[in-house]
Amino acid sequence: MKILKVQSFNKKDSMCGRISLILLSLTRKYHYAVIPAGRKPESSFSEKAMDSRSTDCGNDGHRLFLCSFVRQDSCRFPLVGNPSSIQKDFGRAGMTDLIRSLKLAGLLIFLLTAHCLLPAFADAKVYIDISSPGSKKMPIAIELSGPSGKEMSDVVKNDLEFTGLFAYVDRAAYLENPAQPFNPRNWTPIGVEAVVKGTVTEGKDLSITASLYDVFEGKEIFRKEYRAERGLMRPLSHSIANDIYYALTGEAGIFRSRIAFVGDDRGEKSIYIGDWDGNRMMKTGLKGNIILTPHWSKNGVKLVYSAERNRQWGIYLLEFTNMRERKVFSSRGTNIAGDFTPEGDEITFSSSKDGTPDIYSMNLANNKIKKLTSSYGIEVSPAVSPDSRYVAFVSDRGGSPQIYVMRKDGSDVRRITFEGSYNTSPSWSPKGDKIVFSGRRGTNQIFIVNPDGTGLTQLTSQGNNEDASFSPDGRYVTFSSDRDGVKGIYLMRASGESQRRITPRNLKAYGPGWSPN
Amino acid sequence: MRRFFVMAIAVLISAVFMIGCAEKKVVKPGQQEMQQQQQQPPETTAKEPAEKKGLIKPQERITEQQLAKIETKDELAKYKEESGLFKDIYFDFDKYDVRQEDKDVLQGVASWLLKNPPAKILVEGHCDERGTNEYNLALGDRRAKAARDYLVALGIGSVRVETISYGEEKPVCTEKTEECWAKNRRAHFVVLREAGK
Repeated sequence: MKILKVQSFNKKDSMCGRISLILLSLTRKYHYAVIPAGRKPESSFSEKAMDSRSTDCGNDGHRLFLCSFVRQDSCRFPLVGNPSSIQKDFGRAGMTDLIRSLKLAGLLIFLLTAHCLLPAFADAKVYIDISSPGSKKMPIAIELSGPSGKEMSDVVKNDLEFTGLFAYVDRAAYLENPAQPFNPRNWTPIGVEAVVKGTVTEGKDLSITASLYDVFEGKEIFRKEYRAERGLMRPLSHSIANDIYYALTGEAGIFRSRIAFVGDDRGEKSIYIGDWDGNRMMKTGLKGNIILTPHWSKNGVKLVYSAERNRQWGIYLLEFTNMRERKVFSSRGTNIAGDFTPEGDEITFSSSKDGTPDIYSMNLANNKIKKLTSSYGIEVSPAVSPDSRYVAFVSDRGGSPQIYVMRKDGSDVRRITFEGSYNTSPSWSPKGDKIVFSGRRGTNQIFIVNPDGTGLTQLTSQGNNEDASFSPDGRYVTFSSDRDGVKGIYLMRASGESQRRITPRNLKAYGPGWSPN
Repeated sequence: MRRFFVMAIAVLISAVFMIGCAEKKVVKPGQQEMQQQQQQPPETTAKEPAEKKGLIKPQERITEQQLAKIETKDELAKYKEESGLFKDIYFDFDKYDVRQEDKDVLQGVASWLLKNPPAKILVEGHCDERGTNEYNLALGDRRAKAARDYLVALGIGSVRVETISYGEEKPVCTEKTEECWAKNRRAHFVVLREAGK
């Protein structure tokens, strides 16, 4: 019986080794033993073959060595044995057999181990697993120098800190100044794991070449040249933050997204649009005696909202492409805009034109209306699921306002809130796995629930909190709150952490809608 | 023959192994779904879709669509309005039924309407701030319609009674007290005469 012994030196290779050995054993000509590095061979083989020297086959951690029991000094890689020396040991009859099988084995083992030798050729390395709960925050340094460099660093810092995944290390602690080239030895002593460096040059345009470095591996993860008009310093900084976020987590960042809301400036109401962090807020000039929550289309170029003008409620569409406003529906009674469908060809809304408020959908191309509910009570606030199959809404058909989910054609209505006597304003997460809503427990609070009614979680507890909607990546929620006196727009992570105001205190603001991109 | 068989199995298994064996540093089961969700690329003219998916480009020019201001057209009022002829009527918290103590006021409105054709009346429905805006609009709508139904029951033609809801959007006071809230839960009557009459 011929015996081949294989030694392996790390866990990965022992897997490879084991597979190749199993295949070899199919030939029924060889027995095998696998001996982990540093350990003595199993005693199930004969003493003579297994002496301590045969374990000493060299070790560089990645390779398989085939050793012959009989000749202790014949350890080679991969399988180069001197045929004549082997022949002496195994006898002529066995040699061709051995060689043939060895060639087969060699091919197998080569194929199996080839990938173990190559660096990971699949997707790029991901540094932060954002789906694992309670991840440790990655210490990051941001050092953008030159004109506007400090402001840009601050924008990037605020963006990344809000994700809850990064811990910003202050400039005061840095050992390396912007002019010096990146050296990991300047960063490991202060515990920094990722470094952002770049120098802004300001000419007619703002221009910056920014780099992101990995301290552990001491290498540059990416380098990118950004250019923008001078006035677009913030969008440029947000783009840098997006790229850093993508490089480290594999997920698209939301830092160039925007929030539309209703602002009430000393009685004059209008729709405002600002950056997600509350900066660069702009009044659109849309007026109405009263205006309600604007809803974004999925492609981000349209808003639908309701406004009361001249004693009548109408539903209006604003297209950013031409900044034109168009009335799409009006009637006696109360008409309140709901979500666009994800395809963007229809809107949902509630109207009391037939007596009591009911949910309708309307095709924007041909203005055809379809009635989706017709119960005696109040039905309002339609929210369309991201897969376009369901509509969540509020109904008091059970005696008090609660949240229901139905199919988009109006069938299969199911109630999903059972706690509390007043649950309204539902809004879906972008993945369709959660519904955020406002529940009154004395005061109005933001809750999250699964679309089947399970998993109810309260996110806020101070003041009155309403009108919640998700960010495009589902990781954050915007809402209105009067906890500081005047109603304003707030943000928080979808876990309820890090609640903060983004509108100024002298502007009454409510009804926020987060852009889809 | 047998060797061929073994060879074939070996190649098959090693192929499977090669595909599966490459390890990512961090395994992210959710990532595949995320990528697929982003497959419907939202076309936007509003900004550069640089960060949508895939690789980081080596260069990028940041642009943004400037949003021009919109002027809302003012529409002509259909009616001349007159307020203050009648007292407001009030409602209990979260309720829209007409209360016993308000029936006199409604009787007065009905009498006036009978004596003053062809004037119409507009009933505004209002709520206190404690609910959410959209549901309060619906509640205000029910309150205005409850008052209208009562007037119709008293003999006024429904075409002479218009209704509109303002929800919690037009309060008469803003203190967070029971007294103020009670004042906001109301129906308000406005006389409408055709413009020019």
